[in-house]
Amino acid sequence: MASGLNLDELRVGMNLPELKRPVTQEHINLYAEASQDFNPIHIDQEFARQTQLGGTIAHGMLILAYIAEFMTNFFGQGWLTSGKLSTRFKAPARPGDTVTVSGKITKMQKEDGFSLIYCEVLCQNQQGEAVIVGETKVRVEA
Amino acid sequence: MIQPKIEYDKLTTGYEFAPASFKLDREMVTAYLKATEDKTGLYKESIIIPPMDIAALAMAALLTGLSLPPGTIHVSQELEFIDIANIGETLTSYARVSRKVERGKLHMLTIGINVLGQKKTAVITGEFGFILPPS
Repeated sequence: MASGLNLDELRVGMNLPELKRPVTQEHINLYAEASQDFNPIHIDQEFARQTQLGGTIAHGMLILAYIAEFMTNFFGQGWLTSGKLSTRFKAPARPGDTVTVSGKITKMQKEDGFSLIYCEVLCQNQQGEAVIVGETKVRVEA
Repeated sequence: MIQPKIEYDKLTTGYEFAPASFKLDREMVTAYLKATEDKTGLYKESIIIPPMDIAALAMAALLTGLSLPPGTIHVSQELEFIDIANIGETLTSYARVSRKVERGKLHMLTIGINVLGQKKTAVITGEFGFILPPS
């Protein structure tokens, strides 16, 4: 985590350490319980098979949680009190997929004794298809 | 979290949903951490609630009060984490229709949320974006 975060080492263009997560139906079911989102497209295989999606898909918010973890891993608790994300869902993540979160610093700016760090983030499945794309911003002590 | 559902057709820009209050206990946070396989180590020994857990429950609260047609897609998500909330704290989510756009076959709905902590200060703000099938 970011207890070891050294601002002097951060550079525009720097890649943040990737995070990989397998997506399983079990995790989707657990997430449905935890988030109280029981939309059948996520948990009912029979129902989901008859839709255009052809099967169950993960909650977008579950995949977004991986981005939040990715940012927390690097920026630590600062992410919890100043993190901002703006994302678009591009494709569903399905059971059996492995999602990789990657990102890099796109801009750094000093403001009132803090540094604002801007990143672009990407979630891809194992075929390299974008699942979520977006931008983040976090404030860290300069 | 139970509140009367409003149909999409009845929504207008500026419509305010009934506030929804919820409280997370240790068991709920543990279930969330298991589902997301969180490995940050920040939450297991602390009373901090993962902000995405709060965001997910704010969305659940919103969808409890809103009836969207089948085929609706969650297409975008903005979130800003402002302050930490702790286990046992009562959180209240306020939601409002920021934009409702119907242009030809394109129907888009954006709903802003503002989650306040027990001290009535902001914990999370954000916007949920949806694309709806043409009616």
